[in-house]
Amino acid sequence: MTPVQPTVQPTVQPTAMMSGRYQRAFTIAVVFLVAGWHLAGAGGQLLHNRPAYGSFAFQGAMWLVMALAIAAGSVLVLRGTPGWCPAWTVAVVALAASTAAAAASPAGQMLAVNWSWGSAGWTGVLVLLRRRFSELAWFLAAEALAILGVQVRDGLNRTDLAGFLAVLAWSTGAQAAVAAGVKALDAAAGQAATAARNEHAARERAATTEIIRAARHARWLALQESAVPLVAELAAGTADPGDAQVRSRSAVQAARLRRLLAESDEVPGSLVHELHASADVAERRGVAVEIETAGLLPQVPAPARRVITDAAIAILSAARSRARITLAVVTSGIAVSFVADTGAVVRLPAAGAGVAIEQQQDRGMLWAEARWNSR
Amino acid sequence: MEQPVTVAIIEDHPVVTEGVASWIRSDPDQRVRLVHTARDLTGLRAVPRPAADVIILDLELSGELVTAQIPGLVAAGYRVVAFSGHSDPVIVIETLDNGAHAYVSKEEGRDHLVEAVLAAAADRPYVTRSQARAMLTDQRSARPALSQQEQQALLLWFQGMSKASVGRRMSISENTVRQYINRARAKYAATGRTAPSKDALLARAIEDGVIRAGEIMPYKSFAAPAADRPCLDAPGQ
Repeated sequence: MTPVQPTVQPTVQPTAMMSGRYQRAFTIAVVFLVAGWHLAGAGGQLLHNRPAYGSFAFQGAMWLVMALAIAAGSVLVLRGTPGWCPAWTVAVVALAASTAAAAASPAGQMLAVNWSWGSAGWTGVLVLLRRRFSELAWFLAAEALAILGVQVRDGLNRTDLAGFLAVLAWSTGAQAAVAAGVKALDAAAGQAATAARNEHAARERAATTEIIRAARHARWLALQESAVPLVAELAAGTADPGDAQVRSRSAVQAARLRRLLAESDEVPGSLVHELHASADVAERRGVAVEIETAGLLPQVPAPARRVITDAAIAILSAARSRARITLAVVTSGIAVSFVADTGAVVRLPAAGAGVAIEQQQDRGMLWAEARWNSR
Repeated sequence: MEQPVTVAIIEDHPVVTEGVASWIRSDPDQRVRLVHTARDLTGLRAVPRPAADVIILDLELSGELVTAQIPGLVAAGYRVVAFSGHSDPVIVIETLDNGAHAYVSKEEGRDHLVEAVLAAAADRPYVTRSQARAMLTDQRSARPALSQQEQQALLLWFQGMSKASVGRRMSISENTVRQYINRARAKYAATGRTAPSKDALLARAIEDGVIRAGEIMPYKSFAAPAADRPCLDAPGQ
């Protein structure tokens, strides 16, 4: 009889990893967007308006500071969600560079030649993207106020204010929209991952149920072969409970039932646990059973445990008043020995599953040893 | 008839003391005489000390492990047989290392305690099954090197066979079985800390031909400091 072993597929990768992979893709897209904007958009504007600046060198220097802030911010976000302090350090550097560049622009032409507002805003989006949305809102507001402050210093007329509002709407609006979009995509990826995780858990549950079902079926088959015929004979009256042999068969079957129950228990040291269960019936008969271990016992596979406990049941059922079971660690395995006053040689079950059994009878005392070799 | 061996029982549970006393009384040859009982060790520190050849010592007195007191008792000239509910091999080995002659677990008491006391009084080894288990599972770097036969005899003895059965199983005489087990015990007396009781046991083992001086070779480990080497030439001279 081969118990059914359902195959459990090593399903999907850990779902957190999957959701993380999507998030990383979005982050890379934002890094490209911000870097592209600063290089092509802001850089192009800077070169185009070159003659208009009082000091092109200063504007170029601020552009480089901004580029460094973007590079640092990219490294931060590619390593994961940046902490409060590094994220805001980058954001504040970008804000300062942008404000300094705006303040150094020729009065009255600031909005026309300004390259830095957009870059600073995008840098903020880059580093604050995965932090609370309010942080990004505060940053974009601070950025707009700083530019407005410069504009007010230079004198604010109606045309300037209209221009300011137009740039604000276009630039800040686009930045907020990208940030909101990425947040939405993150949420969607999280949901997909949760769904995959649930599916994985359901599949594992099904596989576990199948394993339990197969184990139950195997136990049922085992009982069909052993305990059921005896119970049927007792019920039909063909077996006489007064007969010593029937009583002995009953003791063996009762011990086997105990062991079947013990086998399904999830305990460390299963073999010792199953031997205790096997000894239970003998102890009820008044046999004093000692179980002792020597050394740190290795885990013995189930088929080998079956052979060893079968031997234990056979010997304990024959024991008259006392039995000693010892488990000792030996080279590459375990030696389980039984010493009991059985009075005669006991028919022991066949060896197998890596277990060799020996016995010796000495003046009514039986010694038997089941040695399981791990190799 | 020889003088009976005098014994003191140090045990904090009167019912156990009573039980041990009854085992001593029921010895058909009355080979042991109980001379002193106490619930702790203070009486043994009095001057003059109570005269007793052997002390049956419960290892846990009023909830405290007293294995560390054994060297003091041994230095005062007593032979100690530990009698304890603790069967942890580490405690058993520590007890032997501190100079106790034998270790008898409370489950083994009826069959072994009187014999262990007699063996201790004669400085002869006595190995109970719980002691065999501790020796088999000893993992210390300073453990003595046991031969394969010694290990096999200890294993079968631990498993619960009589020494005669062990002999039949190993195709050797019962006396040779004793020799293997006692030799393993003597090797333990040659390792670890020094104690007059261990020297006496070793000297007697050499006299009895259980072990030859040249056979006392401790397990050599690079981890063991050189100071741990036992003094091999002291006993028997």
